[in-house]
Amino acid sequence: MDAMTAAKAPPAQFSIQARRWARDNLFGGIGNTLLTVVTSLFLAFAFYQILRFVFSSAQWDVIEANRRLLFIGRFPQGEEWRLWPTIFLVSALAGLTWGLWSKVGWLAAVLLALVLVPVFLFFAHGQVGMLTALAIALALMGYAVTQTGLVHERFQGPIRQLIVVGWVMAFPVTIFMLLAFGGVDPSLWGGFYLNILLAVVGIVASFPLGVLLALSRTSSYPAFRLVSTGYIELFRGVPLITILLMAWFVLPDFLPSWSVPVFAPAGLDRMELVYRVMVALTLFSAAYVAEIVRGGLLAVPKGQLEAAQALGLSTVRINALIVLPQALRAVLPALVGQFISLFKDTSLVSIVTLVELLRAGRAIAQGQIQFSGRDPEILLFVALLFWIVAFSMSRLSQRLEHSLGIGER
Amino acid sequence: MTSTAGGRDIIICEGVKKWFGDFQALRGITTTVAEGEVVVVFGPSGSGKSTFIRTLNRLEEHDEGRIVIDGVELNENLRNLEKVRSEVGMVFQQFNLFPHLTVRRNITLALTNVRHLRKAEADALAEQLLNRVGIPEQVDKYPAQLSGGQQQRVAIARALAMQPKIMLFDEPTSALDPEMIKEVLDVMTQLAHEGMTMIVITHEMGFAREVADRFLFFDDGMIVEEGTPEHFFEDPQEERTKLFLSQIL
Ligand SMILES: Nc1ncnc2c1ncn2[C@@H]1O[C@H](COP(=O)(O)OP(=O)(O)O)[C@@H](O)[C@H]1O
Ligand SMILES: [Mg+2]
Repeated sequence: MDAMTAAKAPPAQFSIQARRWARDNLFGGIGNTLLTVVTSLFLAFAFYQILRFVFSSAQWDVIEANRRLLFIGRFPQGEEWRLWPTIFLVSALAGLTWGLWSKVGWLAAVLLALVLVPVFLFFAHGQVGMLTALAIALALMGYAVTQTGLVHERFQGPIRQLIVVGWVMAFPVTIFMLLAFGGVDPSLWGGFYLNILLAVVGIVASFPLGVLLALSRTSSYPAFRLVSTGYIELFRGVPLITILLMAWFVLPDFLPSWSVPVFAPAGLDRMELVYRVMVALTLFSAAYVAEIVRGGLLAVPKGQLEAAQALGLSTVRINALIVLPQALRAVLPALVGQFISLFKDTSLVSIVTLVELLRAGRAIAQGQIQFSGRDPEILLFVALLFWIVAFSMSRLSQRLEHSLGIGER
Repeated sequence: MTSTAGGRDIIICEGVKKWFGDFQALRGITTTVAEGEVVVVFGPSGSGKSTFIRTLNRLEEHDEGRIVIDGVELNENLRNLEKVRSEVGMVFQQFNLFPHLTVRRNITLALTNVRHLRKAEADALAEQLLNRVGIPEQVDKYPAQLSGGQQQRVAIARALAMQPKIMLFDEPTSALDPEMIKEVLDVMTQLAHEGMTMIVITHEMGFAREVADRFLFFDDGMIVEEGTPEHFFEDPQEERTKLFLSQIL
């Protein structure tokens, strides 16, 4: 088949290739064929069991009845309006970002709709349903506006800047809405909202701290190296649970009684537990970020540094413009891996009595008699929520790698 | 041979010595380079050629002796190392282009961050320089998308962007496929004819003979012999020089 006909008949070409691939990889020899058959049978059985559970034996009303507890924990009744601005803002930004920076495949869109629509119909009704629908609509509008070419070329630059500003503002807006006008006691923050809040704080704060630690560990000043090496080895050598418990029991004894507006008005030694946990997660994650980034720094060839020095660039600029961008590109997958870990580790804060998603789920099975024994449904739902976010982070990282040309230049 | 040489001494080296641990890489280099002069440095591998020219923009710090670049002595008291460096351009054997930046940004980076030019001015200068090295069409590509010869020409343009008074070349063509060597040497020849002060480490003797005012033959961390190209090709004095020339010619 010459190139012309091949180009005109991709399906035939594809099926031939698929058949050849299957023959070479799945059915080459008796052993291989046997392995393929056994594996297929096992997968089919597992898949059947899962489907049977999800659609037949599971009783999902436990989730429906407890969606509030799962998503926002013990957040006071009547204060939910504080949460929606963040959700709307993030939905719109997500839609805009998605539309402007990447194309979504139709298959992925259909799959997403297939999952989201039934889940939405089942779990979201009443006022929450309306508001959730609004959030989804905002995301879709953002996507449509930027994707369909409605935006003139000329406005793309400003829109990009607006989106970046929006993302930067999202966190302060969130905290402001939680604390302003009377505020909600931080010890009442909870559910999946708390997991996400802790993860965002942990990621946003541990990234710059980790980069600084990595730079000082590779710097030529012995004092810097000593301090950062000590820090990293200390925090990597202690389990996160221990650090969280120390944030609970020990940290107050070490902190001075200085008053810090917003976060510790009564003095640092009386800082809210949630904030202490944020500090603990940040300090812990920073040590890992530092080691990952250090690996990237070591991978930047010495010639890059010399070329930059020869141009007369200052040390700060060399790091910011030449070394760090290359180092971070090289370690982006590992870095995102670390952030996904951190996100999942936020479920450990239940150890210090915070009611995050997993603990909220456990509380249902243990505390509500009518739902006792529903652990499988609850755990499956909890796992699904964690998975959706973790998987999105992983996809985002792949998109980023692609658009930065990692592995290509 | 060009004869633009004869200006004031822009590089002065007196007894420059350099150790790497116990190993002495430079054993006392004394020479001066006049403004507009083109000096070719050659000699066996490991003889200290690279170390020598790298001391001239202080990528390596010398341990003894004196180096004066355009009236500024290089030592640890130097306040403005960045300024001195920005007036000495350097081109490396491995190009060392910044792989995460476009060709344009490679060239304008120091212009906007050291010279503090505005972006539009820097861009205009970048395009002008790419024209000069013969690849104006590559401005928006990334280094990895260019051939070796093109990359080295971008590296030359990047160094020239700072309008240096001196250009240092460390074996600029030894990492190139043979068919690309000429395009780089042509750019360098043109630069020499325009009166740039250049120190070039190279074993491209045809090119060297055409552009150099003076040859320095290095061996074992010292300048073993020094003179005009004619001197080296017709009447070299030292045994080591004769031996080395017989090997490379
Ligand atoms: N950073 C370094 N550390 C230790 N030894 C070095 C270093 N750089 C160069 N040398 C040694 O110094 C000598 C001269 O090196 P170099 O100037 O690169 O030689 P050339 O460029 O003439 O081939 C070599 O023996 C080399 O091994
Ligand atoms: Mg060398």
